Amino acid sequence: MKTQTNSEPIENLTQELRRGALPLAVLSMLGENKYGYALISELEECGIKIDQGTLYPMLRRLESQGLLQSSWVVEGTRPRRYYQISVEGSEVLRLLTEEWRHLNQLIEKLLA
Amino acid sequence: MEIIERYLYQVGKHLPAKGREDILAEIRSHLEDTLDERTNGKPTEEDAVALLKEIGAPRQTAASYNPQSQYLIGPGLYPLFRMVAGIALVATLGAQLLAGVISLWTGSLINAGEFVAGLIASVPSALGWVVVVFMILQASGVQANIDDDWDPRTLPAIDNKEDIKRGDQIFGITAGIILLALLIVMPERIGIYSSLGGEFYSNPVILQYLPWIYASLALGIGFDIYLLWQGRWTIASRAMEIGKDIFSIVVVTMLYKGHAAWLEAHGSSGVVFNLQELPTDLVSNLQLFGMKVFCMAFGIALIVMVAVTISKLVKMIIRALRGAEKV
Repeated sequence: MKTQTNSEPIENLTQELRRGALPLAVLSMLGENKYGYALISELEECGIKIDQGTLYPMLRRLESQGLLQSSWVVEGTRPRRYYQISVEGSEVLRLLTEEWRHLNQLIEKLLA
Repeated sequence: MEIIERYLYQVGKHLPAKGREDILAEIRSHLEDTLDERTNGKPTEEDAVALLKEIGAPRQTAASYNPQSQYLIGPGLYPLFRMVAGIALVATLGAQLLAGVISLWTGSLINAGEFVAGLIASVPSALGWVVVVFMILQASGVQANIDDDWDPRTLPAIDNKEDIKRGDQIFGITAGIILLALLIVMPERIGIYSSLGGEFYSNPVILQYLPWIYASLALGIGFDIYLLWQGRWTIASRAMEIGKDIFSIVVVTMLYKGHAAWLEAHGSSGVVFNLQELPTDLVSNLQLFGMKVFCMAFGIALIVMVAVTISKLVKMIIRALRGAEKV
Protein backbone atom coordinates (compact mmCIF):
# COMPACT_ATOMS: atom_id res chain seq x y z
CA MET A 1 0.00 0.00 0.00
CA LYS A 2 1.47 3.31 -1.05
CA THR A 3 1.06 6.26 1.24
CA GLN A 4 1.24 9.77 -0.18
CA THR A 5 4.12 11.89 0.97
CA ASN A 6 1.87 14.71 2.08
CA SER A 7 -0.13 12.63 4.51
CA GLU A 8 2.18 12.59 7.49
CA PRO A 9 -0.50 11.85 10.05
CA ILE A 10 -1.45 8.72 8.15
CA GLU A 11 2.18 7.65 8.01
CA ASN A 12 2.53 8.19 11.73
CA LEU A 13 -0.56 6.15 12.49
CA THR A 14 0.51 3.25 10.27
CA GLN A 15 3.96 3.36 11.82
CA GLU A 16 2.45 3.19 15.27
CA LEU A 17 0.35 0.22 14.23
CA ARG A 18 3.42 -1.65 13.04
CA ARG A 19 5.59 -0.63 15.97
CA GLY A 20 3.36 -2.53 18.36
CA ALA A 21 3.66 -5.73 16.35
CA LEU A 22 7.43 -5.65 15.88
CA PRO A 23 8.54 -7.39 19.08
CA LEU A 24 6.09 -10.19 18.30
CA ALA A 25 7.47 -10.52 14.77
CA VAL A 26 11.06 -10.53 16.00
CA LEU A 27 10.44 -13.10 18.72
CA SER A 28 8.69 -15.35 16.27
CA MET A 29 11.75 -15.43 14.02
CA LEU A 30 14.27 -16.25 16.71
CA GLY A 31 13.43 -19.91 17.18
CA GLU A 32 16.88 -20.49 15.71
CA ASN A 33 20.11 -18.69 16.48
CA LYS A 34 20.40 -15.64 14.26
CA TYR A 35 22.39 -12.43 14.12
CA GLY A 36 21.00 -8.97 13.64
CA TYR A 37 21.86 -8.32 10.05
CA ALA A 38 20.44 -11.63 8.86
CA LEU A 39 17.29 -10.95 10.85
CA ILE A 40 16.84 -7.61 9.12
CA SER A 41 17.15 -9.26 5.70
CA GLU A 42 14.75 -12.06 6.61
CA LEU A 43 12.16 -9.65 7.94
CA GLU A 44 12.44 -7.62 4.77
CA GLU A 45 11.84 -10.70 2.68
CA CYS A 46 8.65 -11.22 4.68
CA GLY A 47 7.63 -7.67 3.88
CA ILE A 48 8.49 -6.15 7.25
CA LYS A 49 10.88 -3.28 6.97
CA ILE A 50 12.85 -2.50 10.11
CA ASP A 51 15.96 -0.38 10.43
CA GLN A 52 19.00 -1.10 12.53
CA GLY A 53 18.25 1.82 14.85
CA THR A 54 15.08 0.02 15.91
CA LEU A 55 16.11 -3.64 15.78
CA TYR A 56 19.37 -3.70 17.72
CA PRO A 57 18.13 -1.71 20.73
CA MET A 58 15.02 -3.91 20.73
CA LEU A 59 17.12 -7.10 20.73
CA ARG A 60 19.11 -5.78 23.70
CA ARG A 61 15.93 -4.84 25.52
CA LEU A 62 14.35 -8.24 24.93
CA GLU A 63 17.53 -9.87 26.14
CA SER A 64 17.66 -7.73 29.26
CA GLN A 65 14.07 -8.82 29.93
CA GLY A 66 15.17 -12.46 29.75
CA LEU A 67 13.28 -13.32 26.56
CA LEU A 68 16.39 -13.85 24.46
CA GLN A 69 19.84 -15.22 25.01
CA SER A 70 22.84 -14.04 23.06
CA SER A 71 26.36 -15.16 22.34
CA TRP A 72 29.27 -13.87 20.31
CA VAL A 73 30.34 -16.15 17.47
CA VAL A 74 33.49 -15.48 15.51
CA GLU A 75 33.36 -16.42 11.82
CA GLY A 76 36.71 -15.91 10.25
CA THR A 77 37.80 -12.50 11.47
CA ARG A 78 34.33 -11.21 12.09
CA PRO A 79 32.61 -11.57 15.44
CA ARG A 80 28.84 -11.56 15.34
CA ARG A 81 26.28 -11.44 18.07
CA TYR A 82 23.76 -14.23 17.75
CA TYR A 83 20.36 -14.19 19.43
CA GLN A 84 17.96 -16.98 20.19
CA ILE A 85 14.69 -17.14 22.03
CA SER A 86 14.94 -18.37 25.61
CA VAL A 87 12.58 -20.65 27.48
CA GLU A 88 10.90 -17.68 29.10
CA GLY A 89 10.81 -16.03 25.69
CA SER A 90 8.99 -18.95 24.14
CA GLU A 91 6.34 -18.76 26.79
CA VAL A 92 5.97 -15.01 26.24
CA LEU A 93 5.77 -15.58 22.49
CA ARG A 94 2.95 -18.02 23.01
CA LEU A 95 1.04 -15.55 25.17
CA LEU A 96 1.69 -12.69 22.78
CA THR A 97 0.48 -14.76 19.83
CA GLU A 98 -2.75 -15.53 21.66
CA GLU A 99 -3.13 -11.89 22.53
CA TRP A 100 -2.50 -10.88 18.91
CA ARG A 101 -5.07 -13.29 17.54
CA HIS A 102 -7.59 -12.23 20.16
CA LEU A 103 -7.03 -8.56 19.45
CA ASN A 104 -7.34 -9.23 15.75
CA GLN A 105 -10.71 -10.87 16.28
CA LEU A 106 -12.00 -7.98 18.36
CA ILE A 107 -10.93 -5.37 15.86
CA GLU A 108 -12.29 -7.29 12.91
CA LYS A 109 -15.60 -7.38 14.70
CA LEU A 110 -15.49 -3.65 15.25
CA LEU A 111 -14.68 -2.99 11.62
CA ALA A 112 -17.38 -5.26 10.29
CA MET B 1 37.78 1.23 8.17
CA GLU B 2 39.06 4.40 9.75
CA ILE B 3 35.91 6.38 9.19
CA ILE B 4 33.77 3.65 10.75
CA GLU B 5 36.01 3.53 13.79
CA ARG B 6 35.73 7.29 14.16
CA TYR B 7 31.94 7.00 13.98
CA LEU B 8 31.84 4.25 16.58
CA TYR B 9 34.10 6.26 18.88
CA GLN B 10 31.68 9.20 18.74
CA VAL B 11 28.67 6.97 19.37
CA GLY B 12 30.50 5.50 22.34
CA LYS B 13 30.85 8.96 23.87
CA HIS B 14 27.10 9.13 24.36
CA LEU B 15 26.75 5.64 25.78
CA PRO B 16 27.11 4.64 29.40
CA ALA B 17 30.19 2.59 30.18
CA LYS B 18 28.15 -0.51 30.88
CA GLY B 19 27.63 -2.46 27.68
CA ARG B 20 29.35 0.13 25.53
CA GLU B 21 31.88 -2.18 23.95
CA ASP B 22 29.20 -4.74 23.25
CA ILE B 23 26.91 -2.24 21.55
CA LEU B 24 29.70 -0.78 19.47
CA ALA B 25 30.90 -4.22 18.40
CA GLU B 26 27.42 -5.08 17.24
CA ILE B 27 27.06 -1.85 15.28
CA ARG B 28 30.46 -2.46 13.70
CA SER B 29 29.52 -5.93 12.59
CA HIS B 30 26.25 -4.61 11.16
CA LEU B 31 28.04 -1.88 9.24
CA GLU B 32 30.62 -4.29 7.88
CA ASP B 33 27.99 -6.82 6.85
CA THR B 34 25.95 -4.13 5.09
CA LEU B 35 28.96 -2.74 3.25
CA ASP B 36 30.01 -6.22 2.18
CA GLU B 37 26.62 -6.96 0.74
CA ARG B 38 26.29 -3.63 -1.03
CA THR B 39 29.72 -3.63 -2.61
CA ASN B 40 30.38 -7.33 -3.00
CA GLY B 41 33.19 -7.34 -0.49
CA LYS B 42 35.07 -4.30 -1.75
CA PRO B 43 33.79 -1.24 0.08
CA THR B 44 35.30 2.14 -0.58
CA GLU B 45 35.29 5.12 1.72
CA GLU B 46 32.41 6.67 -0.26
CA ASP B 47 30.27 3.61 0.37
CA ALA B 48 31.04 3.86 4.06
CA VAL B 49 30.21 7.58 4.08
CA ALA B 50 26.87 6.94 2.35
CA LEU B 51 25.99 4.17 4.76
CA LEU B 52 26.92 6.17 7.84
CA LYS B 53 24.77 9.03 6.60
CA GLU B 54 21.87 6.61 6.31
CA ILE B 55 22.41 5.24 9.78
CA GLY B 56 22.31 8.73 11.27
CA ALA B 57 24.36 11.06 13.45
CA PRO B 58 26.31 9.38 16.30
CA ARG B 59 24.22 11.10 18.93
CA GLN B 60 20.98 9.78 17.47
CA THR B 61 22.33 6.27 17.19
CA ALA B 62 23.37 6.36 20.83
CA ALA B 63 20.01 7.83 21.84
CA SER B 64 18.12 4.93 20.29
CA TYR B 65 19.69 2.67 22.92
CA ASN B 66 18.46 4.82 25.76
CA PRO B 67 15.73 7.31 24.82
CA GLN B 68 15.42 8.78 28.32
CA SER B 69 19.03 9.94 28.23
CA GLN B 70 18.13 12.61 25.67
CA TYR B 71 16.27 14.59 28.24
CA LEU B 72 17.75 17.07 30.67
CA ILE B 73 14.53 16.77 32.62
CA GLY B 74 12.29 14.08 31.15
CA PRO B 75 8.51 14.05 30.78
CA GLY B 76 8.20 11.94 33.93
CA LEU B 77 9.92 14.44 36.18
CA TYR B 78 8.79 17.60 34.43
CA PRO B 79 5.52 18.33 36.31
CA LEU B 80 7.29 18.01 39.65
CA PHE B 81 10.07 20.24 38.34
CA ARG B 82 7.63 22.96 37.35
CA MET B 83 6.03 22.91 40.76
CA VAL B 84 9.33 23.05 42.63
CA ALA B 85 10.76 25.72 40.33
CA GLY B 86 7.70 27.90 40.87
CA ILE B 87 7.92 27.57 44.62
CA ALA B 88 11.66 28.24 44.61
CA LEU B 89 11.27 31.39 42.53
CA VAL B 90 8.49 32.78 44.67
CA ALA B 91 10.34 31.99 47.87
CA THR B 92 13.54 33.61 46.59
CA LEU B 93 11.74 36.80 45.58
CA GLY B 94 9.84 36.92 48.86
CA ALA B 95 12.98 36.45 50.91
CA GLN B 96 14.78 39.20 49.02
CA LEU B 97 11.91 41.62 49.53
CA LEU B 98 11.93 40.85 53.21
CA ALA B 99 15.68 41.35 53.37
CA GLY B 100 15.29 44.63 51.53
CA VAL B 101 12.77 45.93 54.03
CA ILE B 102 14.86 44.85 56.99
CA SER B 103 17.93 46.55 55.60
CA LEU B 104 15.86 49.65 54.98
CA TRP B 105 14.92 49.90 58.63
CA THR B 106 18.43 49.21 59.83
CA GLY B 107 19.56 51.93 57.53
CA SER B 108 21.91 49.91 55.40
CA LEU B 109 19.83 49.78 52.26
CA ILE B 110 21.84 49.96 49.09
CA ASN B 111 20.43 52.10 46.35
CA ALA B 112 17.28 51.09 44.53
CA GLY B 113 19.03 50.16 41.28
CA GLU B 114 21.27 47.66 42.97
CA PHE B 115 18.32 46.19 44.82
CA VAL B 116 16.39 45.59 41.60
CA ALA B 117 19.48 44.22 39.87
CA GLY B 118 20.00 41.83 42.75
CA LEU B 119 16.40 40.77 42.57
CA ILE B 120 16.65 40.05 38.85
CA ALA B 121 19.96 38.24 39.23
CA SER B 122 18.50 35.92 41.85
CA VAL B 123 15.96 34.50 39.40
CA PRO B 124 18.32 32.54 37.12
CA SER B 125 20.30 31.55 40.16
CA ALA B 126 17.32 29.99 41.96
CA LEU B 127 16.08 28.36 38.76
CA GLY B 128 19.57 27.04 38.08
CA TRP B 129 19.76 25.18 41.37
CA VAL B 130 16.41 23.53 40.79
CA VAL B 131 17.51 22.50 37.29
CA VAL B 132 20.75 21.00 38.61
CA VAL B 133 18.92 18.95 41.22
CA PHE B 134 16.45 17.65 38.66
CA MET B 135 19.20 16.92 36.14
CA ILE B 136 20.73 14.60 38.70
CA LEU B 137 17.39 12.99 39.43
CA GLN B 138 16.76 12.42 35.72
CA ALA B 139 20.18 10.92 35.16
CA SER B 140 19.74 8.52 38.07
CA GLY B 141 16.41 7.36 36.70
CA VAL B 142 14.36 8.57 39.63
CA GLN B 143 10.61 8.48 39.05
CA ALA B 144 8.21 11.08 40.32
CA ASN B 145 4.72 9.98 41.18
CA ILE B 146 3.15 13.11 42.56
CA ASP B 147 -0.19 12.46 40.94
CA ASP B 148 -0.42 8.78 41.78
CA ASP B 149 -2.68 8.91 44.80
CA TRP B 150 -4.63 12.01 44.07
CA ASP B 151 -8.09 11.91 45.57
CA PRO B 152 -11.00 13.48 43.65
CA ARG B 153 -12.45 14.53 46.98
CA THR B 154 -9.56 16.89 47.57
CA LEU B 155 -10.27 18.94 44.45
CA PRO B 156 -10.67 22.58 45.48
CA ALA B 157 -14.09 24.17 45.17
CA ILE B 158 -14.73 26.50 42.30
CA ASP B 159 -14.49 30.04 43.50
CA ASN B 160 -15.15 33.16 41.58
CA LYS B 161 -12.11 34.85 43.02
CA GLU B 162 -10.49 33.98 39.73
CA ASP B 163 -12.77 36.35 37.92
CA ILE B 164 -11.69 39.92 37.94
CA LYS B 165 -14.19 42.31 39.39
CA ARG B 166 -14.56 44.95 36.74
CA GLY B 167 -15.47 47.54 39.32
CA ASP B 168 -12.07 47.30 40.96
CA GLN B 169 -10.21 47.70 37.70
CA ILE B 170 -12.32 50.57 36.45
CA PHE B 171 -11.90 52.40 39.74
CA GLY B 172 -8.16 51.78 39.66
CA ILE B 173 -7.84 53.00 36.09
CA THR B 174 -9.87 56.11 36.73
CA ALA B 175 -8.09 57.04 39.94
CA GLY B 176 -4.74 56.33 38.32
CA ILE B 177 -5.48 58.52 35.33
CA ILE B 178 -6.67 61.38 37.49
CA LEU B 179 -3.61 61.20 39.69
CA LEU B 180 -1.33 60.94 36.70
CA ALA B 181 -2.98 63.92 35.06
CA LEU B 182 -2.62 65.96 38.25
CA LEU B 183 1.03 65.09 38.48
CA ILE B 184 1.69 65.91 34.88
CA VAL B 185 -0.14 69.20 34.75
CA MET B 186 0.67 70.68 38.12
CA PRO B 187 3.17 68.66 40.10
CA GLU B 188 4.44 71.73 41.84
CA ARG B 189 1.04 72.15 43.45
CA ILE B 190 1.43 68.93 45.39
CA GLY B 191 2.79 70.04 48.68
CA ILE B 192 2.02 71.53 51.97
CA TYR B 193 -0.78 74.00 52.31
CA SER B 194 -1.29 76.09 55.33
CA SER B 195 -4.72 77.24 56.37
CA LEU B 196 -3.17 79.59 58.89
CA GLY B 197 -1.10 81.98 56.91
CA GLY B 198 -1.98 80.91 53.39
CA GLU B 199 1.54 79.67 52.84
CA PHE B 200 2.37 76.99 50.38
CA TYR B 201 5.43 74.88 49.99
CA SER B 202 5.86 72.47 47.16
CA ASN B 203 7.37 69.09 47.82
CA PRO B 204 10.79 69.06 46.21
CA VAL B 205 11.34 65.37 46.70
CA ILE B 206 8.25 64.46 44.73
CA LEU B 207 9.32 66.83 41.99
CA GLN B 208 12.71 65.19 41.92
CA TYR B 209 11.33 61.69 41.47
CA LEU B 210 8.49 62.63 39.15
CA PRO B 211 9.50 60.39 36.21
CA TRP B 212 9.59 57.36 38.49
CA ILE B 213 6.15 58.18 39.86
CA TYR B 214 4.84 58.56 36.31
CA ALA B 215 6.30 55.18 35.40
CA SER B 216 4.80 53.47 38.43
CA LEU B 217 1.36 54.96 37.84
CA ALA B 218 1.49 54.19 34.12
CA LEU B 219 2.47 50.61 34.90
CA GLY B 220 -0.44 50.28 37.29
CA ILE B 221 -2.92 51.74 34.82
CA GLY B 222 -1.61 49.58 31.99
CA PHE B 223 -1.84 46.48 34.14
CA ASP B 224 -5.43 47.29 35.18
CA ILE B 225 -6.41 47.74 31.55
CA TYR B 226 -4.77 44.40 30.73
CA LEU B 227 -6.67 42.66 33.52
CA LEU B 228 -9.93 44.21 32.39
CA TRP B 229 -9.30 42.87 28.90
CA GLN B 230 -8.32 39.40 30.12
CA GLY B 231 -11.28 38.88 32.41
CA ARG B 232 -9.67 36.32 34.68
CA TRP B 233 -6.40 35.74 36.42
CA THR B 234 -3.76 33.59 34.79
CA ILE B 235 -0.35 32.48 35.95
CA ALA B 236 1.18 35.09 33.64
CA SER B 237 -0.88 37.95 35.00
CA ARG B 238 -0.12 36.91 38.58
CA ALA B 239 3.56 37.09 37.74
CA MET B 240 3.11 40.49 36.10
CA GLU B 241 1.30 41.72 39.16
CA ILE B 242 4.22 40.75 41.35
CA GLY B 243 6.59 42.53 38.97
CA LYS B 244 4.47 45.67 38.99
CA ASP B 245 4.23 45.54 42.79
CA ILE B 246 7.98 45.21 43.16
CA PHE B 247 8.49 48.20 40.87
CA SER B 248 6.07 50.29 42.90
CA ILE B 249 7.81 49.23 46.09
CA VAL B 250 11.11 50.38 44.66
CA VAL B 251 9.63 53.78 43.72
CA VAL B 252 8.05 54.27 47.13
CA THR B 253 11.35 53.27 48.73
CA MET B 254 13.10 55.95 46.72
CA LEU B 255 10.52 58.52 47.74
CA TYR B 256 10.84 57.54 51.36
CA LYS B 257 14.60 57.69 51.27
CA GLY B 258 14.45 60.95 49.40
CA HIS B 259 12.32 62.49 52.10
CA ALA B 260 14.53 61.16 54.86
CA ALA B 261 17.57 62.60 53.11
CA TRP B 262 15.86 65.96 52.64
CA LEU B 263 14.93 66.03 56.30
CA GLU B 264 18.51 65.24 57.27
CA ALA B 265 19.77 68.02 55.08
CA HIS B 266 17.35 70.51 56.59
CA GLY B 267 18.30 69.81 60.12
CA SER B 268 15.48 67.68 61.30
CA SER B 269 16.58 64.27 62.30
CA GLY B 270 14.36 61.28 62.65
CA VAL B 271 11.25 60.29 60.89
CA VAL B 272 9.00 60.02 63.87
CA PHE B 273 7.68 63.11 65.51
CA ASN B 274 9.31 64.27 68.65
CA LEU B 275 6.47 65.27 70.95
CA GLN B 276 8.33 68.21 72.41
CA GLU B 277 9.21 69.56 69.01
CA LEU B 278 5.69 69.24 67.80
CA PRO B 279 4.15 72.63 68.62
CA THR B 280 7.28 74.54 67.63
CA ASP B 281 7.64 72.52 64.47
CA LEU B 282 4.15 73.34 63.40
CA VAL B 283 4.37 77.03 63.92
CA SER B 284 7.95 77.85 63.08
CA ASN B 285 8.55 75.62 60.18
CA LEU B 286 5.52 74.43 58.34
CA GLN B 287 7.52 73.00 55.51
CA LEU B 288 9.61 70.83 57.79
CA PHE B 289 6.50 69.55 59.50
CA GLY B 290 4.80 68.86 56.20
CA MET B 291 7.78 67.00 54.82
CA LYS B 292 7.88 64.89 57.93
CA VAL B 293 4.26 63.97 57.35
CA PHE B 294 5.04 63.01 53.78
CA CYS B 295 8.00 60.96 54.93
CA MET B 296 5.99 59.06 57.48
CA ALA B 297 3.20 58.50 54.99
CA PHE B 298 5.58 57.01 52.46
CA GLY B 299 7.21 54.90 55.14
CA ILE B 300 3.89 53.48 56.22
CA ALA B 301 2.83 52.95 52.61
CA LEU B 302 6.07 51.07 52.04
CA ILE B 303 5.50 48.72 54.95
CA VAL B 304 1.94 48.05 53.85
CA MET B 305 2.93 47.42 50.24
CA VAL B 306 5.68 45.02 51.19
CA ALA B 307 3.40 43.17 53.58
CA VAL B 308 0.70 42.86 50.92
CA THR B 309 3.17 41.68 48.29
CA ILE B 310 4.67 39.10 50.62
CA SER B 311 1.22 37.82 51.52
CA LYS B 312 0.44 37.54 47.79
CA LEU B 313 3.62 35.53 47.31
CA VAL B 314 2.76 33.27 50.24
CA LYS B 315 -0.70 32.68 48.79
CA MET B 316 0.90 31.74 45.48
CA ILE B 317 3.10 29.17 47.21
CA ILE B 318 0.14 27.67 49.01
CA ARG B 319 -1.81 27.45 45.79
CA ALA B 320 1.13 25.83 44.06
CA LEU B 321 1.46 23.25 46.82
CA ARG B 322 -2.21 22.39 46.65
CA GLY B 323 -2.21 21.69 42.96
CA ALA B 324 -0.11 22.75 40.05
CA GLU B 325 -3.00 23.57 37.73
CA LYS B 326 -4.84 25.99 39.97
CA VAL B 327 -3.75 29.59 39.57
